[in-house]
Amino acid sequence: MNCPFQTDAGTVRRILGVAGLAVRASLRTKTVVALLVLLAACVLILPRVVRGDGTPEGDLHILLSYTLGFSFGILCLSTLWSSCALFAAEIENMRIQLSAVKPVRTIDFWLGKWMALLAMNAVLLLAVHAGVYAQARWRIHRSGGIAAESLTSRHVTHPVLPTPRAEALNMYRKLQEQNALPKGLSKNTVLQVLEQKASERYDVLNPGEPISWTFRLARSVRIGDPVTVRVKFDTEFSTRELVKGVFKLSTAQRPGAAVEVKLDDFTQNEIEFVVDTRAFAGSGAPELRDFALTFVHAGDAKRSAALMLRARQDVVLLTPGGSFVANQLRAAAIQGGVLALLAAFGLMLSACFSLPVAAFTATVLLVLTVVGNSVVQTATEEDEKMWYNRFGIGVSRVVNQATSHAMKAEPLKALSRGERIERSVWVSSVLWNGVLIPCVFGLAGCVILRRRELAQGE
Amino acid sequence: MNEETVVETRGLKKTFLDFWRRPVVEAVKGLDLTVRSGEVFGLLGPNGSGKSTTIKMLLGLLHPTGGEIRVFGAPPNDTRTKSRIGYLPEVSYLHPFLTSRETLMYYGSLFGFSHALARQRTEELLEMVDLQHAADRAVGRFSKGMARRVGLAQALINAPDLLVLDEPTSGLDPIGCREVKDLVRLLAKNGVTVLMTSHLLADVEDVCDRVAILDHGELRANGCVSDLLRKPDEVRFTVGGLKDGAATELRSAIETRVGHPVQQDYPSMSLEAFFLQVVASDGRRRAYEVAPFLKASHGRKEDVCP
Repeated sequence: MNCPFQTDAGTVRRILGVAGLAVRASLRTKTVVALLVLLAACVLILPRVVRGDGTPEGDLHILLSYTLGFSFGILCLSTLWSSCALFAAEIENMRIQLSAVKPVRTIDFWLGKWMALLAMNAVLLLAVHAGVYAQARWRIHRSGGIAAESLTSRHVTHPVLPTPRAEALNMYRKLQEQNALPKGLSKNTVLQVLEQKASERYDVLNPGEPISWTFRLARSVRIGDPVTVRVKFDTEFSTRELVKGVFKLSTAQRPGAAVEVKLDDFTQNEIEFVVDTRAFAGSGAPELRDFALTFVHAGDAKRSAALMLRARQDVVLLTPGGSFVANQLRAAAIQGGVLALLAAFGLMLSACFSLPVAAFTATVLLVLTVVGNSVVQTATEEDEKMWYNRFGIGVSRVVNQATSHAMKAEPLKALSRGERIERSVWVSSVLWNGVLIPCVFGLAGCVILRRRELAQGE
Repeated sequence: MNEETVVETRGLKKTFLDFWRRPVVEAVKGLDLTVRSGEVFGLLGPNGSGKSTTIKMLLGLLHPTGGEIRVFGAPPNDTRTKSRIGYLPEVSYLHPFLTSRETLMYYGSLFGFSHALARQRTEELLEMVDLQHAADRAVGRFSKGMARRVGLAQALINAPDLLVLDEPTSGLDPIGCREVKDLVRLLAKNGVTVLMTSHLLADVEDVCDRVAILDHGELRANGCVSDLLRKPDEVRFTVGGLKDGAATELRSAIETRVGHPVQQDYPSMSLEAFFLQVVASDGRRRAYEVAPFLKASHGRKEDVCP
């Protein structure tokens, strides 16, 4: 019996033949040219239209988040629509008949078309990223190197804290001891709520009070490497208040040495400052791994508001993590994975429906994926009173659940914030979005295509 | 099914359904058909008789509602079966943005040919169908006849054992028709089995060894063309250089012999033959010469209907 995944030189030639035809079709029908013009406009014009906060760093942020985001959005839509057309249009105009009578397996057709989309997306995505990088370099050059440090890649280390699950279990036990567990809810539901609360928990800091966190780096830093502290304070009513205080960073590798930084900024701002680790030079270890960070709220006891922050999200230590270009390539790989998923999804729809139906379905699902998260998060009980609202929120929830894993990685956010996209994140994203889910869509598409009649009668 | 049988259908049925899965048309009703190796088989019938539906089921493009199809002893969707089939559809389904050379290279790649082999066959076929001069022009800009020739070339790129031609002369001028018919005969002599449909009965009569006539999805007649068309009670003599007087004497003698009146006429050439004589006499068009790789791939066959 023939294995459906058996490959030989002939199979590879067949797949490449199908891919070559799809690429030629895109080039000769000027689809790619139109797309290139649109992307070029996005890369060149958008950064001039959308203004940041006026600083070179702000401009770079716009370039790395908005420009790359818009370009990626255009690529997503074009990938989805063109993949929807690939089988549907060929079946519609009967051109598939001449290919279908040749000794080509359905999976080879599917792979050829998918690979063509992948190849074109890879070229366009790399061109967009190269264009954005060149612009960023040019802007830095023009500003006299002011924002050069914005193009960076840094490991992000969160404070050492028990996991939300462990904290939730601890809270659950306390509630149990106090006999205060909510009635009528399962243990799992209660734990889920507690876990959510734990991960969102705010620490409150009154004027004059200190707060400390410890950090253990996954990769130690050398003496002389910059260590950046990033922190964001809030207040009870999310008002903009002056923050005054003193940060003190020390390391276990060099007891007794500490760096103090005075803070005079506002809540809601993301405050970043760099600590020169040469202050820890001395007889200790040449590499630093364990840090302690203390902050003392130095505001006036009567006039200053209490500060709040979520330790799991609002305070991090940033340490050097390779080159920006490598980080940008990782971001591009994640985006490529998402495009591969969309291409596979569009091809599956294309195998099921005619082009208008496939394109409409794909677009609706894409919009639901993009807005579904905010719909689910902002929906209240009041909203769910009407049946159509309930239906819409329900659909959004289902789509949100189904796509949450695929949408988990946020490469542009990390890139524009100078955070290194860790291997576990990008490899898992690429494998999941670019390989596993497309395999499922591919198999479904092939089964449908095999069952579908590719011609009409007389 | 014996070795000589290329296509066999038993009780083949096809019913088209609407969106709600209700039967709309019963296009083929229990068709039993056998096409033997090396023959030119014609499938005839009026519009809507089920010819194209039958062919599309043989090619795996439509799924039968009932019955069985074997092509080279295997189901039509088997890739090994498909690798032995060439198909020319009634309408040109070629990609309009590809040049004729790219078209043939593309279909060659679908057979898994190496680039060199696909290139060699492409050039031989372009020469065979006399399209070298238009090898780098987009097929979408071709006339119907030229597109048909590219279609024919793509159907032959794998040196098929079974060539399926759906209305092969549709849209061709008389010279083009003649060329296609000659080619079909040449291929058949080289051992290729040809299954064709046509509305043009003269075309079928010219090239087919056996025919089946379908009407409303049912088989009405099936057999060798010569057997089906023969009038066993009648004899025709064709004599050249006979004076009028001698002809009258001869006729009287035959009438006396058979005891009833005999029809006497003067045979004329067909309009097609006359047209070809007038138009093709300047040598602008030449007959197809079978590409070398096609000659090499098949053994010659004897006549199917002796």
